[in-house]
Amino acid sequence: MSERQLIQGNEACARGALAAGCSFFAGYPISPSSEIAEQLARELPGRGAVFIQMEDEIASMGAVLGASLGGRRAMTATSGPGFTLMQEHLGYASLAEIPCVVIDVMRGGPSTGLPTSPAQGDVMQARWGSHGDRATIALAPGSVQEVYSLTIEAFRLAEALRTPVVVLYDEVIGHMREGVELHRPTKRQLGRRSGPKAAFSPDFLPYAPDENGVAMVPDFGCGYRFHVTGLMHDERGYPTSDHHKVAQLLERLERKVEPAVAAVSPERYRLEDANVVLVAYGIVARTARAAVDLLREEGVRAGLFRTRLLWPIPDAALSALCRSADLVVVAEMNRGQWSLEVERLAGGSSLLAPYLKAGGSVITAAELAEHVRQSMREAVAAP
Amino acid sequence: MSWRLDVRCAGSGGQGLALAAVVLAEAGLAAGCEVALTQEYGPEARGGASRADVAISDAVIANPQCGVPSILLALHDKAWRRFATAVPAVVASLQSGSTVAVVDRDLVVVEPGTPGVLALAFEAIARDELRAKVVANMLAVGAVSRLMGRFDGALVESAVAKRSPSAFRQLNVTAFRRGWAMAGEHLPPAPTGEVSGLVSASRA
Repeated sequence: MSERQLIQGNEACARGALAAGCSFFAGYPISPSSEIAEQLARELPGRGAVFIQMEDEIASMGAVLGASLGGRRAMTATSGPGFTLMQEHLGYASLAEIPCVVIDVMRGGPSTGLPTSPAQGDVMQARWGSHGDRATIALAPGSVQEVYSLTIEAFRLAEALRTPVVVLYDEVIGHMREGVELHRPTKRQLGRRSGPKAAFSPDFLPYAPDENGVAMVPDFGCGYRFHVTGLMHDERGYPTSDHHKVAQLLERLERKVEPAVAAVSPERYRLEDANVVLVAYGIVARTARAAVDLLREEGVRAGLFRTRLLWPIPDAALSALCRSADLVVVAEMNRGQWSLEVERLAGGSSLLAPYLKAGGSVITAAELAEHVRQSMREAVAAP
Repeated sequence: MSWRLDVRCAGSGGQGLALAAVVLAEAGLAAGCEVALTQEYGPEARGGASRADVAISDAVIANPQCGVPSILLALHDKAWRRFATAVPAVVASLQSGSTVAVVDRDLVVVEPGTPGVLALAFEAIARDELRAKVVANMLAVGAVSRLMGRFDGALVESAVAKRSPSAFRQLNVTAFRRGWAMAGEHLPPAPTGEVSGLVSASRA
């Protein structure tokens, strides 16, 4: 066991990125994510890597995509207002299959909102912020240790599946300090980018999928000549409006992110015999775990499903969970985002009583436990 | 049974309470404990009543939030008012003895008769004796860590040294030792070979 270090969530993110081989960061500082840029501005230049502070978040994302096409493991970090500006290029990255990692340390929104208070309001923006039917991967670490490991995993997924990966956590996790083991990732944990399997020839197809449904786009400057576009394209990378080809492309892009569900498993806490299931992520999952313990002491068979993966949603696990529970409580710091998805997956199979709190403070264990008690009383009283 | 201590370090932005909390967390980590440090990052941290909370436990810290602290360190009156007198649960906890407040004797106005308060002259000693008002926070770290009764003085001292800028290392360590000694005068004598404390931990 390596020695644990007392570091902040945002520092753990920067350290995770470095461990994952990140060699390019472009961004624009914004609370509560700025420490990531601060740390990488110190670390990257000395390693033959690049740190650029751009003029805004639109340009930041553009620079990240360019660097990634050139073969760099590239990332940016921001918060809600900046994440909004990045949406256009995120869509481009999805369609053109450009690997990149985007960290969004969530603060209260909309607009500039609450710069230094926690929130979980960007969950749906991560899913649908960019237009079109875009497949997406979003991870949700729940501790400083997990910020480190999931940042590494974000790079692996981004590279292996050639897609943007978003890491969403809130201001509390970002600024919290905990003891962290900075393990060196294995080759497998680092993963590698899908690329061409043959040398360049005139009939070379950069957007032909490999056995995992991932395009085999080479890095720029490696002897291949090819075209990258945000238009719908065929396997040559050239624009097409062939309905059949477009439908196939969209389907493939959606299917290719599915391995994330198996790769990023949930934590199941005291769920074995639970009929009251709390569902949470990020900082709320921490207080929800404490709420489960409080309720267990009172004889309530409560358990926690803590997801580390927001998108694609782990639908099979959640559907099964909702079928086996009497009461499902999704707790999140927004006005109802992931809870709506869980409701859809439950399909009326169990009683749902989400606990939603927006406004800048974390849901406490005591208030969550009280909400569960109240919901149980109401369930009994209902005809 | 597992235990947990919550220390709230409160003061005015700039008094070094964040560093005080970092040192306490670092000491906890060095002692093999689980620690979680959260702090306010708003404009309060630049001049208002600000806080940094450290949870230390021998078990996993599920909930990093500090509800009612085991120790409330207050180095400024507005922090005392915001985190003590204005919070009924803290007032009750001081009365029942579950919370110990450690305050600066000259900077915090405590109503006479308030139970559970230890008023020490951190700033005055830092200024008059150590000739550096800025190390009042390390005096407080010394006092608070002594009252916790969980850690060896040398271990906390190492944490002070580790987290101090080199120009302030010796001064900070001196301040820490002075604070540790100050608190010792207020502790009941410990049985031989044991560390005595003034604070009761809660269940983890």
